[in-house]
Amino acid sequence: MADLAMAHLDGVPVKRSRGRFAGVSLGTWVGVLLFAVASVLGVVVLLVPSLQSLWTDQSLRSTFLAPASAGHPLGTDSLGRDMFWRLLAGLGVSIFVGVGVAIISITLGLIVGIVGGFFGRAADLTTNVVIDVTWAFPAILLAVVFAGWLGPGLPAVILALALTGWASFARIVRGEVLTLRERDYIAASKVLGRSRLWISVRHLVPNLLPLTFVMSVFFIATAIVAEAGLAFLGLGAQPPIPSLGAILAQGRDYLTTTWWPIALAGGVLTLLVLLLNSVSDQLREHFDPRHGGS
Amino acid sequence: MAREETSLIYALKRVGYAALVMLLASLVTFAALRVAPGSAVTSILDPAKTPPEVIEQYREELGLNLPLFQQYLNYVGSLLTGDFGTSLFDRKPVVDLVLGAASFTIVLALAAFVISFGLGVPAGVLSALNQGGWFDRSMRFASSALMAIPNFVLALLLVLVLGVQWRLLPVSGATGPLSLVMPALVLAAEPWALTTRVTRTATAEQLGADFARTLRARGVSRRRIHWRHILRNALSPVVSLGAVQVRTLLGYTLIVEVIFRWPGMGSQLVQSVVRRDYPVASALALLLAFVVVLASTVGDLVLRWVDPRVRTESMVVK
Repeated sequence: MADLAMAHLDGVPVKRSRGRFAGVSLGTWVGVLLFAVASVLGVVVLLVPSLQSLWTDQSLRSTFLAPASAGHPLGTDSLGRDMFWRLLAGLGVSIFVGVGVAIISITLGLIVGIVGGFFGRAADLTTNVVIDVTWAFPAILLAVVFAGWLGPGLPAVILALALTGWASFARIVRGEVLTLRERDYIAASKVLGRSRLWISVRHLVPNLLPLTFVMSVFFIATAIVAEAGLAFLGLGAQPPIPSLGAILAQGRDYLTTTWWPIALAGGVLTLLVLLLNSVSDQLREHFDPRHGGS
Repeated sequence: MAREETSLIYALKRVGYAALVMLLASLVTFAALRVAPGSAVTSILDPAKTPPEVIEQYREELGLNLPLFQQYLNYVGSLLTGDFGTSLFDRKPVVDLVLGAASFTIVLALAAFVISFGLGVPAGVLSALNQGGWFDRSMRFASSALMAIPNFVLALLLVLVLGVQWRLLPVSGATGPLSLVMPALVLAAEPWALTTRVTRTATAEQLGADFARTLRARGVSRRRIHWRHILRNALSPVVSLGAVQVRTLLGYTLIVEVIFRWPGMGSQLVQSVVRRDYPVASALALLLAFVVVLASTVGDLVLRWVDPRVRTESMVVK
């Protein structure tokens, strides 16, 4: 990356598109595709009632924490449920929560960030206070409040994570808007008598899209980890929903006898986050070469 | 002279703003924990077995029968006099419980902070000085890995290897300095990775700057340029990161403390929230919020002091 930076300094045009599609390398695309297929399968297995027995079936109680066998390629858990299907459904939970949280926090963050950066000093002060108050609280607190209010489960988790997560994005959006609003075309729109709302929708939002894109991948990754963390503490999805965090918590109880439930669930979780981080890094480099190499 | 004044006014404004944020934060903790159903009374007394008069008397004693607005005023009033109430669960003063737990969390968080910055800043500078070399590449790999692996997974892996397999370190509790090692390492992992990366990027940018070239041309020694001039200039993003790190560390202590049964604020918060022990939970939440607000205030003030360029920006710009 160092030579890339130097090339920039010398004014030499940089070729960045070799072996890449939409800024993301082919190897990463393969990973994304594999995980996408697995996640879609996971969501299907999670939501289609007739398929739910795959990961709830306890008829194999005798095969308590059994290692891999012919019928169960990844063994069974401590209640005799098939580990492969539980991991797949757990991946479905992760993606479901990750995408849900990303959509809500991105929308909220865009709105609040634009209002703060573009709608005057009073709006800016107000949104700043709201952002800072939100920012000061740990998500876990909100998760418990929502769990008490809506009943524990995935909707409570999604709301809690989204309502604490948007603040960091709003802050970034506001910063971007502060530079965007000095551009000539914005000034021109103002002179033409366009309303702030019109300028926001027509000029600010399209210019913020690359950033939004990068950040949504980042949000999916952080939400997936946070959901697993809440489930691990017993504050997230309730049994028998097979969150990866719940599988880890279960594996922890049998840590002294077997290691592979933790290795499997932890491995899936880590690979997923690694993949999403790498996608978001590559997208950022693609959209903004200045930040490359960090 | 004029600059001194503006700095003072800036500091006052910043502190006033922090106070406003804290006031609203107190409203939020109050509302959130009261709105959450499952009354504190019913979690202590079994409603099926206790006569209604007793329950009513208990509610009155706790002030839970007053209108919410009045309850909030009482709450803020007592907060300002340093009275955080008593735990609904074991009837001990909240201040004692929270301070006892806070000392454990402070030890843990400080250890993690020292590890992440003490190892992160030098690692970042060294990576930037030999970009593409083996050290740079291995740090890059290590930081990617540590950013991807969730801290509770890392914790379980360490417990499995160091605690269960090799029996090197105690698995849980706070039974001496050795029991600090695993939680502190887990807590420091991701902040270390971020610090290393930010320091590397900032240093790499400064290496190519005009002032560095001028210094080299004047014959100033490389070591002096790197560790004195460049590091000082590269430090401002690292300082901003520090304030963010405090928040990250606090968020992570919640789960890390529970895993290692470390008796700090994190495990206490989770416990009190599950028990619906309102006074303890809201005091802890407020304290955590206070630390986060304090860190970002101090971070802004330090940033202004370290980096004179920031002084030209207006107050709300952060």
